[in-house]
Amino acid sequence: MNSTIDQLKNKRLLWQASQVSGAHKTLSSGFDSLDAYLEGGLPEQGVVDISSPIGIGELRLLLPSFVLRQQNSQKLLVFIGAPARLNAPMLVKMGFELSRILIIEPKNAKEALWSTEQCLKSGCCEGVFLWHQGLEVHQAKRLQFAAETGEALSVVMRQQQPTSFSLPVALALELAPCPEGIQVTVTKRKGGSHGQPFTVNMAQAWPSLTRQPKSSNIVPLPRIHSLTG
Amino acid sequence: MQPLWLYLHFPNLQLDSYHTLGPSKARPNEQLEPAQDGVETPVVILDMQHGIVQLNQAARFTGIKPYMSLGTAAALHGGLQVVPFNPEIEKQQLSMIAHRLYMVVCDICFFSEQGLLLRVDNMLRLYGGLLQLWNIIQTQLAPLNVEFNFATGSSPLAAKLLALKKWDHITDDPKLMEQALKQVDLTFTELSQKDITKLNSVGVSTVEQLLAIPFSDLHKRFDTQVITYLGQLRGDFKHPVDFFHPAQRFEQYIELLYEIERSDLLLQPMHKVLSNLENFLLLRDELTQELSITLYQRDKENIEFVVGAQQGEYRAKDWLGLLALKLDNLILNAPIVALQLNVKNTFVRSPDKHDLFLGKQGAISRLQLISLLQAKLGDDALFSPMTVNDYRPERASQYCCALTVNEQNPIYRPPLRPSFLLPEPSLLTQHVSIVHGPERISTGWWDHHPVVRDYFIATSEQGQWFWVFKTPDNKWFLQGIFS
Repeated sequence: MNSTIDQLKNKRLLWQASQVSGAHKTLSSGFDSLDAYLEGGLPEQGVVDISSPIGIGELRLLLPSFVLRQQNSQKLLVFIGAPARLNAPMLVKMGFELSRILIIEPKNAKEALWSTEQCLKSGCCEGVFLWHQGLEVHQAKRLQFAAETGEALSVVMRQQQPTSFSLPVALALELAPCPEGIQVTVTKRKGGSHGQPFTVNMAQAWPSLTRQPKSSNIVPLPRIHSLTG
Repeated sequence: MQPLWLYLHFPNLQLDSYHTLGPSKARPNEQLEPAQDGVETPVVILDMQHGIVQLNQAARFTGIKPYMSLGTAAALHGGLQVVPFNPEIEKQQLSMIAHRLYMVVCDICFFSEQGLLLRVDNMLRLYGGLLQLWNIIQTQLAPLNVEFNFATGSSPLAAKLLALKKWDHITDDPKLMEQALKQVDLTFTELSQKDITKLNSVGVSTVEQLLAIPFSDLHKRFDTQVITYLGQLRGDFKHPVDFFHPAQRFEQYIELLYEIERSDLLLQPMHKVLSNLENFLLLRDELTQELSITLYQRDKENIEFVVGAQQGEYRAKDWLGLLALKLDNLILNAPIVALQLNVKNTFVRSPDKHDLFLGKQGAISRLQLISLLQAKLGDDALFSPMTVNDYRPERASQYCCALTVNEQNPIYRPPLRPSFLLPEPSLLTQHVSIVHGPERISTGWWDHHPVVRDYFIATSEQGQWFWVFKTPDNKWFLQGIFS
């Protein structure tokens, strides 16, 4: 064989696609179709860049993975700079333990980044959700490094479309609404391919929040909680 | 065994308090003024009645002497720094020294404003001799870098007299002590000036001559105070002494000779105080979770704030890190002239327990992380979500203090709820189509926050999932988002 290629391989500058999926540890996202596409699921640690409009099911897509993570360890899950108040009953319903959830409301984007870095590298956080609109390359690098130090996964959520340059993150997804669930486009994946948009069907997990093809002779009964004496 | 007393006299307590760190560890006048070319500035402590009462080495070099008037001293050196005498500082310093000594000697008494009396005869067996004990006392005093005179004596007053005379000897030989005592001039004693003049006029000027006179003769000419003093000095009369019991709390006030205007510069003097705290806690093997700090501003109100470390810390380094974050956000309205540190509660340190099988542990613990974040972001930035048994969605979900959630099993398990709630329901302004509903919530008439709402799950044209409700008067509101 070509000795130059062997040399490069020895120096770990070159690797074969078949080696890659094993090299990056992943954890199930809770959705089979996404796991299959990402060859295992979300990365175990690092930064995941999510670009999505608000309210289309972006948290419903990502949170099940963190429920699994929380069950397997004693670490914290942190939400930083969420666009509105997180609703505790929903978190309980998903299976989270509220005593291990931390919510940070920083005053500005700088403080948000600072707290994210501190949480990631502390080693006592499992995952950190950060809502931040304009992450820059050097900031993403710092977060990625902090996440590797503390063995945590950071999810950076933003609403705007991805900029032309790509951030140095482990995984970047672009999400779009879709009647059966959510449409996912992988724009970047470390050591993996990406390509066509695909749909994650949420009909099973969230039947009320998807629109199935109608077989509509079923009329839902109204629920009434009335305590009017 | 004969009682044996040791008296320590600290002539320059207030002056020493300004650079306790000492020249070996830091520049001596770091706090006073940046020393130019390593030359110490002359500093004197001025008492309104007695003139100059304390002075440093540099001041001595310029020819200034104790009890000189300010005018004369100022004439000797133009750049003289003058600090008013403050008995409070001396008291605190003395108390700090007593606390340190209490670690090695059990019977300590605040005998005068500038001196400590130690009973040593009952400690000799523990340390194996007077010299060993004296070595240990010296090591305790060394880091404080205070000037002191010392002497042993067979009675408290004898020890004090010898120390004031600057005898500076440690011995348990009664003969030596007696000899030294006899040579002391009467002016060092606590006899009143009137009595001393009286005695001098009859040719009695030393203790030896005074003690040679029989008590019965003295009794005719002098009042009982003189007799009592002499009796106690010789050890013939009992001298009751109140021993000191250390406080359980750490408290230190330091006055800055130079006003500090930038909060980052405050870390220097803070470090000194925190090191004292570290010693205090280390000797007791204790930790504390909270420091209360008071910064005294010139002509403005004091700034008081609290720094917390939920896990409990004792190291000055850790506290300084938290303090630096806190000071970052602090706005000083006026220069700082003094600062004070109070520690209310301490607790015994329990060893850190790690689970051997849990794998790699993080660099810091959960509580340390919380303290770190709180120090920088303030107390009102960290929360944990909490559920409350209430049908009203805005009440069912609440934010409480970080990681203090008491998880209870909710009595009422609501159906599908959104991930985000808006702080206040807002009027629905966009076009939505209803997918599910209604879910009627009608409650709260008993606590003056009645709610009658029909909730629906709706989607917008952009494919977003909203939680909207309709009020009885047909107004539509947006309350939640199914992210």
